[in-house]
Amino acid sequence: MTCSDHILSRRNLLTVGAVGGLGLSLTDFFRIQAAQAAQPIDSKQNHFQNSEGTAKSVIFIFLPGGMAQQESFDPKPNAPIEYRGPLDSIATSLTGVRFSSQFKKTAQIADKLTIIRSLTHGEAAHERGVHNMFTGYRPSPALRYPSMGSVVSQEFGPRNHLPPYVLVPNVPNEFAGPGYLSSAHAGFSLGSDPAKKDYRVRDLSLPKNVDMQRFGKRRKLLDIVNEHFRQREQSDAIDAMDSFYGKAFSLISSKEAREAFDISKEDDKLRTRYGRNEYGARMLVARRLVEAGVRFVSLTCGGWDHHANIETAMKNNVPQFDQGFSALIDDLSERGLLDSTLVCVTSEFGRSPKINAQAGRDHWPKVFSNLLAGGGVRRGHVFGSSNATASEPDEDPLSVEDWATTIYHCLGINAKKELMAPGGRPIEIVEGGNVRSDLLA
Amino acid sequence: MNRLPSRALFKSFAVLTVVVLGTLAPTSCCGNEPTEAETDSTVSFVNDVVPILSRHGCNAGSCHGAARGKDGFALSLFGYDPAGDHQTLVREIPGRRIDLAMPGESLLLAKATGSVPHTGGKLFEKDSDAYQKLLHWIEQTAKFDGETAPQLVQVSMTPKEVVLEGHQAKQPAKVLAIYEDGAERDVTNLAAFSSSNSNVASISNDGRIVADRPGEAFVMARFGAHTVGCNVIVHSKDDGFEWPTGIEEANYIDVAILEKLRKLHIVPAPVCSDADFIRRVSIDLTGRLPSRTELASFVVDEDIEKRAKLIDRLLSTDDFERLWAMKWMDLLKVRSINPVSDKSIWKFSQWLKQNIHDGVPIKQWLTEMLTASGGEFENPPATFFQDLPDQKKVAEDVAQVFLGMRIQCAQCHNHPFDRWTMDDYYGFVAFFDMVRRKRGTDPRERIIFSVKGKTLHPVTKEVVKPRFLGGENADATSADPRIALASWMTSDDNPYFAPNLANRIWEQFFGIGIVNEVDDVRVSNPPVNQVLLDQLAERLIATEFDFKALARDICNSHAYQRGTMSGWNSVEAEKNFGAAKLRRIRAEVLLDIISQVTETTDDFAGLPAGASATEIPDGKTTNHFLNTFGKSTRQSVCACEVNTQPNLSQALHLINGDTVHNKIGRGKVIQKMVKSKTPNPEIIENIFLRCLARSPTERELDQLMSELKSGGKRNQVLQDIFWAVLNSREFVFNH
Repeated sequence: MTCSDHILSRRNLLTVGAVGGLGLSLTDFFRIQAAQAAQPIDSKQNHFQNSEGTAKSVIFIFLPGGMAQQESFDPKPNAPIEYRGPLDSIATSLTGVRFSSQFKKTAQIADKLTIIRSLTHGEAAHERGVHNMFTGYRPSPALRYPSMGSVVSQEFGPRNHLPPYVLVPNVPNEFAGPGYLSSAHAGFSLGSDPAKKDYRVRDLSLPKNVDMQRFGKRRKLLDIVNEHFRQREQSDAIDAMDSFYGKAFSLISSKEAREAFDISKEDDKLRTRYGRNEYGARMLVARRLVEAGVRFVSLTCGGWDHHANIETAMKNNVPQFDQGFSALIDDLSERGLLDSTLVCVTSEFGRSPKINAQAGRDHWPKVFSNLLAGGGVRRGHVFGSSNATASEPDEDPLSVEDWATTIYHCLGINAKKELMAPGGRPIEIVEGGNVRSDLLA
Repeated sequence: MNRLPSRALFKSFAVLTVVVLGTLAPTSCCGNEPTEAETDSTVSFVNDVVPILSRHGCNAGSCHGAARGKDGFALSLFGYDPAGDHQTLVREIPGRRIDLAMPGESLLLAKATGSVPHTGGKLFEKDSDAYQKLLHWIEQTAKFDGETAPQLVQVSMTPKEVVLEGHQAKQPAKVLAIYEDGAERDVTNLAAFSSSNSNVASISNDGRIVADRPGEAFVMARFGAHTVGCNVIVHSKDDGFEWPTGIEEANYIDVAILEKLRKLHIVPAPVCSDADFIRRVSIDLTGRLPSRTELASFVVDEDIEKRAKLIDRLLSTDDFERLWAMKWMDLLKVRSINPVSDKSIWKFSQWLKQNIHDGVPIKQWLTEMLTASGGEFENPPATFFQDLPDQKKVAEDVAQVFLGMRIQCAQCHNHPFDRWTMDDYYGFVAFFDMVRRKRGTDPRERIIFSVKGKTLHPVTKEVVKPRFLGGENADATSADPRIALASWMTSDDNPYFAPNLANRIWEQFFGIGIVNEVDDVRVSNPPVNQVLLDQLAERLIATEFDFKALARDICNSHAYQRGTMSGWNSVEAEKNFGAAKLRRIRAEVLLDIISQVTETTDDFAGLPAGASATEIPDGKTTNHFLNTFGKSTRQSVCACEVNTQPNLSQALHLINGDTVHNKIGRGKVIQKMVKSKTPNPEIIENIFLRCLARSPTERELDQLMSELKSGGKRNQVLQDIFWAVLNSREFVFNH
């Protein structure tokens, strides 16, 4: 068991923390590291050392509401009209693989993607489906599970002075949080939409009438005021707060870190290529963030709950997504970042096989489609299939657990590893998932 | 007859506190003498085989107890369904796992002894007791005896408490099972053991407790659906500890706490200064900082009763009621969320506030709430049933808020570290199962009503009768079982209700519960000080649940008034209330006191200008500051909803955000003083007094004055000093 050394070193760290000496080795992001160390490890816990994965970072694009598989990546052109739906299909750069007609640009980069057509779970309510896709778990009445981004934050911590987990533009839902992990692993939200003219990451830049010089003075004054209390009191709580101040100061002071959030630094042409709308701007900021060192960017775009008039709805939503997403993949590829960045596009579920009375489709978790690209997954591959009416998986059904386990695998995390939940209950990062090697390059 | 002596022995053991010096071999009293049940040669499936599977972890969640089993073999988690397990072992694939023709060739045995590949490895040897028992059971045709085997009624562990001195000091423990027919059986070699803190003490498979480092641990034994434990205190050998003289007791609270500290060999921190005290108690009782005049007159007051008088004064303020109303609104999820309308929430919050204002005892308003029927507008407490039609959620919430217990786990499996089984769970849910909700004529209103019907157990499909947690069935003749539930809940004899409330009130003042987390009461999470908890609960009962009286006792204790401590045992001291714990001030109070010291107000949707954050009735009403600093979202009843953990966004917001920077500008505190020609040292002193309840030290004043001289506009540097104080750790913590 090679992991035992590791357990010991963590134990020791824990012991040091208990005697209050941990404050001595404070570094910028100490708090997150401390929270990692503070994850108690029990000898009965499954423990695996993380390795360097093929994916150095993840861009998780979530399309809330449940995008129809039929009107996106799994059209059924030969099905009867009530199943086929109102939209035509088009050929893609992969021979024999067709997409719905609105995904014109995505169709041209299909050779860079893995198209999953057999994802399946049993949760037809939005919040339950969303829970599945953000945490890899079915909702439980007894436990709040951490989101994938928070697990990545817990397992790897920060890189280049940047927060490890960033939410674009805001916390999208209650399941994107740290669950039972320390709240230090909550994602950092931009708090502002990059598509807006007045986009400014919340609280990242100095107030109007404070320049760097005045800011320097403030920091000096703060040091003077903090000194007395620091000498009087020793507490992990103070150390933790100190460390976040340290991180905040270096984020505010580091031009590179601050500029990672600033899309106005991008070439005008490129911004236009992504599209100057919420899809394009959010995807562009995501690329800047992973390029600068953020490990997990979670972004949401649009509304895809098309119970009525699915044709119009798709025609309104898809072109912007299509432009932004294809630009993102091309841009990552041109920069040589695609191989180390796992891009993931998904909804909480798909939509029902038959068009309903309102010319829309209803919730359908039994089979739906999503995309993976880069970061160690196969290029130009269709994984699994649904049956003739897109109502059941046909070949290679893919469970949420397998899907999440494979994503963690690309990141270098063995999802069988157990994290400690309250009450000393060890919980696997994903329960019962397998790495699906067919998804991997 | 021959059982009598062993029972007497067990009794005398239970009350004994054993002090073991150095290393000792296990004493003979805990050897495994065969008892009546053991000498009986028939092996019971329920009472022998399932415990063997539990002890060796076969039916644990990480092995075959997982919902989908492991490697094609699924057992019920921790053996909650013996009939199902028997089916799986014997009949699912006949002849495979159990071979009646050649018992020794059974796969069950081959896997467990590692003679064929087994993911779980080798669990025991062929010559072990476990192996022999399983073999005999198969030889005896692998019968299921669920209907005939005596039911396990109680498990106990002795000793219940032990003090060990020195690394590697040992103490054998014994686990005794008592069956419905009165039979007692030593099950030490069948129980599964664990320790809450193996850095302090561990427990071996044969029940031997071994000391490691100084501290406190709870070692547990699990047998059947029962978990029992023993509290272990470990001292370093010859630590030369002597209890100092002159440590005083203000009231019964101190007596209980000092007793425990003495056992732990921890000397409590001295009582804090007057300035520290008035800041601490003002924040805790009113959510405000003391004004400069209050502070000045308190510090110079020579009345020896001044702290008690201050406590009385603060307890009589509206602010105190406001804080408690907020606490209850957090716990009862008072927030408008579809389909609960703003109007229902407004009425519900007003109802709660009014009850607290009028001093209505919790027993009374809780009964009114639990049994509420009718429209939410006419009868605001009916809004409590917002989770309907999910009756399970309602039942879980009631257990968690009012009894401090998380029974959720038992919805799907028997609780592994507690006594709750699925039967308990569904018995408790049955109290609410017939409650329904429908839309009122006003679309914003919902109406609560009851129907007739039966609750079915999801596994056995049998009718489940309403049953009190850990108690008996409710009187089935009552029209609405909720009435019986309310009277059981609020009864003085209820073992959970008063301690839970006392613990929650306590936690408000110490930042840590006697049982911690406050809503995680379970056998495996015992109170750090049982005597203290019992006394607080008794006091609540004696005062008819007057929480003000209890708060008064707590604030007057030396325990509450102690200073902080540093050093290796500070964590243990804080946990046992021998030293104050630094607490980051919760979001709403922090925003209110920032507004107080900057002389500004906030605007919240639907509230008059100048309303404080602590009086917001609807949990949905919030702002960026409150979200960032962990205001309760009121999405769940968990005490953990109120989050005081730090994060990056908090630091960025205090540094750059509009709260501190803008409020300093808007309130013009500095400008006013500059205008009235106040000298710099006085302005600095003013800032310190209003925010930190202390004057700047000489060193601080010198340094700040020299910063003022070294450049920058005077007005601006003074504002920046104010900014620095509001960003300081000393400001955001209650200490």
